Amino acid sequence: MSFLILDRLTKSFGALKIFDGLSLSVNRGETVAICSPSGSGKTLLLRLIAGIYEPDAGEIVIDGRPVTGLAPDARGIGMAFQNFALYPHLSAFENIASPLRARSVAAPEIERRVRRVAEILKIGHVLQHLPRELSNGQKQRTALARAIVADARLLLLDDPLRNVDAKLRYEMRQELPRVLREFEATVLYVTQDFREAMALGQRIGVLCDGGFVQVDRPQRIYSDPSTIEVARLFGDPTINLYDSQLADGVVSLLGLGLALPGCAGAARRPCRVAVRPEHVQIAVNGEAGERAGLPVTIEAVTPLNQNAVLLLHTAAGDELLATTTLQRAEALACGPREAVALVRPEHLLLFDRATGARIRTD
Amino acid sequence: MADLMLNSVTKIYRPRGREAVRAVSGLDMAVGDGEIIALLGSSGCGKTSTLRMITGFEAVSEGSISLGGRRLNELRPAERNVAMAFEGYSLYPPLTVRDNVAFALLRERAPREEVVRKVAEVAELVGIADSLDRFPSTISSGQQQRASLARALIRPAALHLLDEPMSQLEPQVRAILRARIKEWLKDRGMTAVVVTHDQTDAIALADRIAVMEASRLMQFATPAELRERPANLFVASFIGEPPMNLIEAEVAVGASGPRVVAPAAGSALTLDLPQTAALPAGHRVWLGLSPRHLAVGQGPHRAEVMVNQWLGDQTHLALEIDGLPLTAVAAGMVDAVPGEVVPFAVEPRGIHLFDCAEGAAIYHGSAEAA
Amino acid sequence: MQHTSWHWRLFKGICLALISLFFLFPILWVLLMSFQTNEDILRVPPSPFFTPTLDNYRALIAGELTGAGSTLKIAYMKNIWNSFVLSACSVLLSLLLGVPAAYAFARYRFRLGENIAFTLLSFRFAPPLLVLLPLLLYFQDLGLYDTYFGLIWVYQLITLPLILWIVRGYFEDVSPDIEHAYRIDGHSWLRSFLKIAVPLARPGIAAAALLAFIFAWNNFVFALILGSSDVQPVTVGALAFITASGIQYGQIAAGLVLSVIPTFVLALVMQRYLVEGLSLGAVKG
Repeated sequence: MSFLILDRLTKSFGALKIFDGLSLSVNRGETVAICSPSGSGKTLLLRLIAGIYEPDAGEIVIDGRPVTGLAPDARGIGMAFQNFALYPHLSAFENIASPLRARSVAAPEIERRVRRVAEILKIGHVLQHLPRELSNGQKQRTALARAIVADARLLLLDDPLRNVDAKLRYEMRQELPRVLREFEATVLYVTQDFREAMALGQRIGVLCDGGFVQVDRPQRIYSDPSTIEVARLFGDPTINLYDSQLADGVVSLLGLGLALPGCAGAARRPCRVAVRPEHVQIAVNGEAGERAGLPVTIEAVTPLNQNAVLLLHTAAGDELLATTTLQRAEALACGPREAVALVRPEHLLLFDRATGARIRTD
Repeated sequence: MADLMLNSVTKIYRPRGREAVRAVSGLDMAVGDGEIIALLGSSGCGKTSTLRMITGFEAVSEGSISLGGRRLNELRPAERNVAMAFEGYSLYPPLTVRDNVAFALLRERAPREEVVRKVAEVAELVGIADSLDRFPSTISSGQQQRASLARALIRPAALHLLDEPMSQLEPQVRAILRARIKEWLKDRGMTAVVVTHDQTDAIALADRIAVMEASRLMQFATPAELRERPANLFVASFIGEPPMNLIEAEVAVGASGPRVVAPAAGSALTLDLPQTAALPAGHRVWLGLSPRHLAVGQGPHRAEVMVNQWLGDQTHLALEIDGLPLTAVAAGMVDAVPGEVVPFAVEPRGIHLFDCAEGAAIYHGSAEAA
Repeated sequence: MQHTSWHWRLFKGICLALISLFFLFPILWVLLMSFQTNEDILRVPPSPFFTPTLDNYRALIAGELTGAGSTLKIAYMKNIWNSFVLSACSVLLSLLLGVPAAYAFARYRFRLGENIAFTLLSFRFAPPLLVLLPLLLYFQDLGLYDTYFGLIWVYQLITLPLILWIVRGYFEDVSPDIEHAYRIDGHSWLRSFLKIAVPLARPGIAAAALLAFIFAWNNFVFALILGSSDVQPVTVGALAFITASGIQYGQIAAGLVLSVIPTFVLALVMQRYLVEGLSLGAVKG
């Protein structure tokens, strides 16, 4: 039985249709990360569930109870906002205690529960401070504490790590799953950062054009995207994407013909072909041997922390990104610029050129 | 094109009625001709003040700045031959994007055809060819940032300053833009200073990175050196995504030579150091373990997996040894569920030791390996 | 860039002193006048040297105006009290009505909302004299003429639009997310208004109240027509100094000084609230 059900939600602002028959179901205790390009209504979706806005049509069911039409205070939800939305005139303690006060919990019990959640989130020492006296990280933890303190049945986290610095973001990314597990919360986690979605979501929902285009485990979203948008959204650097033709089971990648056994005999059709940068191998000085590859020049080497990105140009001037290990990149940066890019057919992803939908090749 | 020299540059703000604030203290830096460097640090570290002193928007309190042997301190911003991409874009609202980008060239009375060709080239580079005839207020902030970048990159200045050049760009285009900008700068032998709080941008673009914190220069070195030989505790805790594990530890003498013991993990984490590491026993140190060099799967140590996060091209693991948290990064997927105890090894090149009192580095595993 | 040499600072100092003197001169002059007898004031040429006297104040507080040999009863202290009652009650009533209204205009889009808000503001555009005569007739019929209540009602024309429009801006500056967060915590609409919105807009409410108070205090024409001396404020009461036997400049000046004191004290007290809110900032960006 699903804990949260969104059933064919529709919402427009004037002539602008944001959601059109959006549906999702979330199991009890599950964390679903919602990831999408900016401007696709992630934040609005959380606000519909929280009751800040009402959907034009459709039904929201939390724990078997339809909540559409109920005021926000009657829905039993915890929410953390991207901008923290702390009460500036109240101490961190009172901020966190607010949901408990609303439920008329006795004072000693409030004290106990606020202290406990503050301990878990490591803000026990700043409870008497006003929000303006807190660091960004502490503000964010206070906002989180306020969302979970009352054991809300459903937690809505609206990009809570957006406004904290990189170091804290890593810390929280590893800490958050443990905290959420401890409170046995059912969570909708909205983020723009695909890594955050993959790190935190047991499943990921990709929101595009008014509805979810794919809801799946992180592995499947990454390796088996259902549309071009999903493929482009997940992966850094972004997936390489080119217009192409599929004919007689052979697809051309920038002029390099690659045979796809699963598509043999299929009708000729225009398509787009995509390959992830980590699946583009670079061979120099005849390393490629007999294998057919794409002749390229290495235009720039930009190292990252774990690997390096290579910018490659084909003879026709097309750009191709490849990632490689840092050691390999150092060697390539000093070596010749002429190289051969190798791609294995099983790493290719094909999409319909008109609709952007995936063309299965196996 | 020229080299940029900063000699004990200091910036002191003296707000009325309040204590003077040191924004930059004794900054020494030499940037070679054609070199790309990055000023990296969190907000308030002094990087923006440094940038503003180089451009001439702020007076230098002490020390001197010179560009190509010419002292800049007393020159007005317009006389410094410096091109800048502003974080806030600062596009001229009444001009189209095209005129904004071409502005400096037109002012220098460059020939018409050359301007047209260069604008087309740089617009292609940053990807704003479609919006050249629009006005800044009608394009997205990402597009404005690209236009601002184009306006700076098109100028043949002695020095290019890029202030948070990627901050507003969609994540999908960052990698390719970084690569293209780097190629553009390198091809033309341009000297550039990139100011950023994002270490990914700094590492990707710069030949050398100046890490700043609390108005001081913490280390000025290549990205590889920052990663393999961080000069102090701050750099170690700042560089890396995720950054280095830092554990309080003690140097001891074992059967085969010096070793380091982390009391927080009981006896579970003891690491042998090579004979050559001359360290007195009993010395209190910070032990730094870089996440990339914790190899999960086999090895002498055991840790409980708390969190296992696969991110597509890498895996981040939160481990615990007797309550001591450790972060590990693996290249592929790691087959372990939370609660499972896994063996792991610490690669010697991933071990760093820092002095407990001053935070200065006293030992790098990678230095031994090299 | 280094302009901190001593003659630059001296030049700046002199300029500032001259500008301050220019703007403060009328007030200083009135203050000096209030300690002079009518003869000293009217002396030609005027002299800055005189023997200070408290007679003007004494006469005002006692309510006995002496000029050119005759005495005249005046109720100046009563006028000040009337001013205070009228202004304070008007502002309180306007706060009671205007703050919730401002909140509604700031937070909710409803049909004709902008029109209603603008209509309220437009009361400030109408020349008072145009409305006064019909109002006078109505007030006499309704028995509101010469009552505090009637004047306070009319004063809403001055204070309500002011409070409504200033406070509305402050409510709009409070991030709605803060209130949303409070609602989601489980609090009712009313509590979120009273515990979150009002405290956060307090600096704005204080500023608007102060401004409205000053406007009400300075009003002249409403009270002149719609009340007798029983309810008339200082602005009208000061007319009594223009007597058949001449204008009592010294007493006018003293009256002026006395009438400024309440608003001045109020502004000083409110200053704390005016600046308080500026440093509150829990919401980023």
